[in-house]
Amino acid sequence: MTKTIPLLTTLLLAAVVAGITWQLQSPKSLTLRFYPYMGEQVLVFNDLRYQNPGGPGKFLIRDLQLFISNIHLIGKKQTYRQPDSYHLLRFDNDKGYFDIVLKDVALNEYDRIELGIGVDPDANGSIVFSGDLDPNGRMAWNWQVGYKFLLLEGRLTSNEKSIPLVYHIGFDESYTRVTVPLANDSGFFDQITTLKVDFSKLFMQETPVNMEQVSTVKFDPDNVRLIAQAFPDLLSIN
Amino acid sequence: MSVITVLIVLAGITFWKIANDPPVTTPVEFTAPFVFGRFQIPKDNPYTYESVKLGRRLFYDPLLSGNNEISCASCHKQELAFTDGLPRAIGASKRALPFNSMSLSNLMWGPRHFFWNGRVASLEQQALLPIQHVDEMDQDLDELMEELKQDDRYPVLFRNAYGRITPENTAKALASFQRSLISANSKYDKYLRGEISLSDQEEYGRKLFMAHPDTKVSLRGGNCIDCHSQFLTAGFATGFDGFSNNGLDDDEHLQDGLYAFTGNDAHRGLFKVPTLRNIAVTAPYMHDGRFASLEQVLEHYNSGIKMSQTLSPLIIEADNREKVDIQSVSLNLTETEMKAIIAFLHTLTDEDFLTNEDFSDPFNRGSDHD
Repeated sequence: MTKTIPLLTTLLLAAVVAGITWQLQSPKSLTLRFYPYMGEQVLVFNDLRYQNPGGPGKFLIRDLQLFISNIHLIGKKQTYRQPDSYHLLRFDNDKGYFDIVLKDVALNEYDRIELGIGVDPDANGSIVFSGDLDPNGRMAWNWQVGYKFLLLEGRLTSNEKSIPLVYHIGFDESYTRVTVPLANDSGFFDQITTLKVDFSKLFMQETPVNMEQVSTVKFDPDNVRLIAQAFPDLLSIN
Repeated sequence: MSVITVLIVLAGITFWKIANDPPVTTPVEFTAPFVFGRFQIPKDNPYTYESVKLGRRLFYDPLLSGNNEISCASCHKQELAFTDGLPRAIGASKRALPFNSMSLSNLMWGPRHFFWNGRVASLEQQALLPIQHVDEMDQDLDELMEELKQDDRYPVLFRNAYGRITPENTAKALASFQRSLISANSKYDKYLRGEISLSDQEEYGRKLFMAHPDTKVSLRGGNCIDCHSQFLTAGFATGFDGFSNNGLDDDEHLQDGLYAFTGNDAHRGLFKVPTLRNIAVTAPYMHDGRFASLEQVLEHYNSGIKMSQTLSPLIIEADNREKVDIQSVSLNLTETEMKAIIAFLHTLTDEDFLTNEDFSDPFNRGSDHD
């Protein structure tokens, strides 16, 4: 009897350790949850509440879509590349956020998330249907020009004038890879990582953009560059 | 005695199984251009030859109406790309309906919401509503089911396609037939396949169609692509992206449109963006058929836009001249440019689609293909 108890205890401990190890090493799902922000506040659609950063008047956002592509999880020893990784972020839903779920990944192995804002040049120059890429979709300009990476439309009211706002930002040069840290909770369960997409950064630049003067951006390279230069700062861990 | 009982029970089971087992059906093999993209067919309504055959007969059968005089095809005529040539459809009540009869083609693709105000999310949901509407076909579904059961051919057609005669299976069959209406052999399709070239005028029109004007880079455009996708030429499929307020009315006269379905103020005055496939034969135009010709449509976009709270910023902003007055909306296309866009729109006419016997009235002698 005195020998049986330690033996059972040892076996039990071994089973627990094996179970924990198995759970830690088994693949998990990682949800990247994107929240739209304007500065410190969650973005509200169709509300004339946002101050023109570089001039008079207030503006509202009516439509907002953003392409994210080629999500990689990067670790010291390995890199996970999500297949068909083209995601059209939009927030005009009841939840107010957009989820991307990476299934069956060894979360413990990675410490950074790398992704592209926009569509990489290869896909941008093709008419493939991959992920959310859709040549018949709203983000497609046409097959010769490629995709809008960012679509932001709305209205600025200034001095009793109503000015349409149209920011369609694309072009290969605008494609931007960004990296954010992947905080690993415990590695024990599926994980949700929340990311803040701060759209105010597009206009709150070193020289704030006066939306009355730059109310539309589509194909003019200088204007496109002006807005797209904020892409590296668009995302952060919430 | 016991042997007879067993035989009776076995016969009963066999009969029950035959009556209730799903029929053996044959999936439709079809091709569509790669550029049309992904499509969805509901899992509970497989796309089969049997369902299409049944749906085609139902579509053309006036039995579906209360007075047995009106069929779906009364307002959706093949030679008019399944429209009726009227500004607003007229059905059983002889009163003009609020909406123009919408063209039916390539319905597996494009917006996932049907009717001009998007009030249903599938062809199956859509199919029974006109049948029951008092102003359209004014039919009682129970009565219709009885009439179908009494008919010479429908019991077999339903049994082969779905098993039983029910309203749900009627809707499924009509949906399947409508899915079969694929238009993919227009001049534009042949151009996309590299088989032909467009004329200079058509090619100029195509380029204008595909461009949003940007005076900063001297890019002229007709602004069509902002609502009509480049290959399908229909509204966009995702969410409500395929709905737009295209400046037909000012705030005072703005109709509900999509708002009637969503209750969202931002959707007031938004209507479904239709396909432009076969647009040259589907006059009159717009949800209420207010424009009699493509020239009038182009004139509207060029200089007839009315401002309203939900008017698309893309329409307000689009101008081929540098904007001096932001409150003035005009594309400022030239006559030559408008004619070129119309020439391109004519390349979307698909004569094969308009005359395809598979889509024609099966009650006409000699066209009921088995």
